[in-house]
Amino acid sequence: MTDPKPARTDADLRRILTEFSVPSEPGKERLAMETVAEAVRDLDIRGENLERLKTAVAEATMNAMEHGNKYRSEVPVEVEVLVVDQDLKVRITDRGSGPPPQEAGDEPDLVAKLEGMQTPRGWGLFLINSMVDEMSITGDDGHHTVELVVHLGAEGGK
Amino acid sequence: MAVRHLSVEVRLEPSVAVLDLVGEINGFAEEALNAAYAEADAMDTQTILLNFEGVDYINSTGIALIVGLLAKARASHKRLLACNLSEHYVEIFNITRLSDFMSVFPDEESAVVEASVS
Repeated sequence: MTDPKPARTDADLRRILTEFSVPSEPGKERLAMETVAEAVRDLDIRGENLERLKTAVAEATMNAMEHGNKYRSEVPVEVEVLVVDQDLKVRITDRGSGPPPQEAGDEPDLVAKLEGMQTPRGWGLFLINSMVDEMSITGDDGHHTVELVVHLGAEGGK
Repeated sequence: MAVRHLSVEVRLEPSVAVLDLVGEINGFAEEALNAAYAEADAMDTQTILLNFEGVDYINSTGIALIVGLLAKARASHKRLLACNLSEHYVEIFNITRLSDFMSVFPDEESAVVEASVS
């Protein structure tokens, strides 16, 4: 008789693919995007699903640089890429304070923007929400973290 | 990874002013994009075509710049068309509804045909 297998723990289900940071400088979101793409190369995220993930990472990193870190280049945006069970998770953390931004990401009113009644900007959260399966934003006194989730497997990706 | 700043060539086809976009459409692109649009606008065609063949990255700030061009075109009763977007950016033009106000064509030839018949 053999011993029963030990119960799986959270640590067994969690595999970190990479952790890195980028300075809060305009344009550096592409570095974050390409680094994440390289980290998930061996996962089943390809073609259009990969492009969607890259856009979500770029937009979340831009938000972190602009709204959280106020484009102070010495303040990094930290990125963690991990697989938890059947999900790919990308966590993007800035050093912002105050309440975390709203995560609703409602569809912007393009007509109002075209008629000059709203700023033409304001697409970031909407794009992020449209590109991944789940998004959440958490925060404390000194950090905000955006977590992007892509379900792996045949049904994964939007 | 270095930013590929946007450069734009403007040329006049029989019925359309074409902006050949090369590089990234992001916050750095504002000056080049607006200057090129003004040059195309002065060509006095009814249609202006944005050719995205040389563009490999558009972020949300770039989307905002394109919204700005579309607003200018609508205000002056001109048509703004797009061609040679990658599959991914066609999707983004669809979900942002930009494609409701700006017809998207797979290539320049089909866009110019559309511009010449309408």
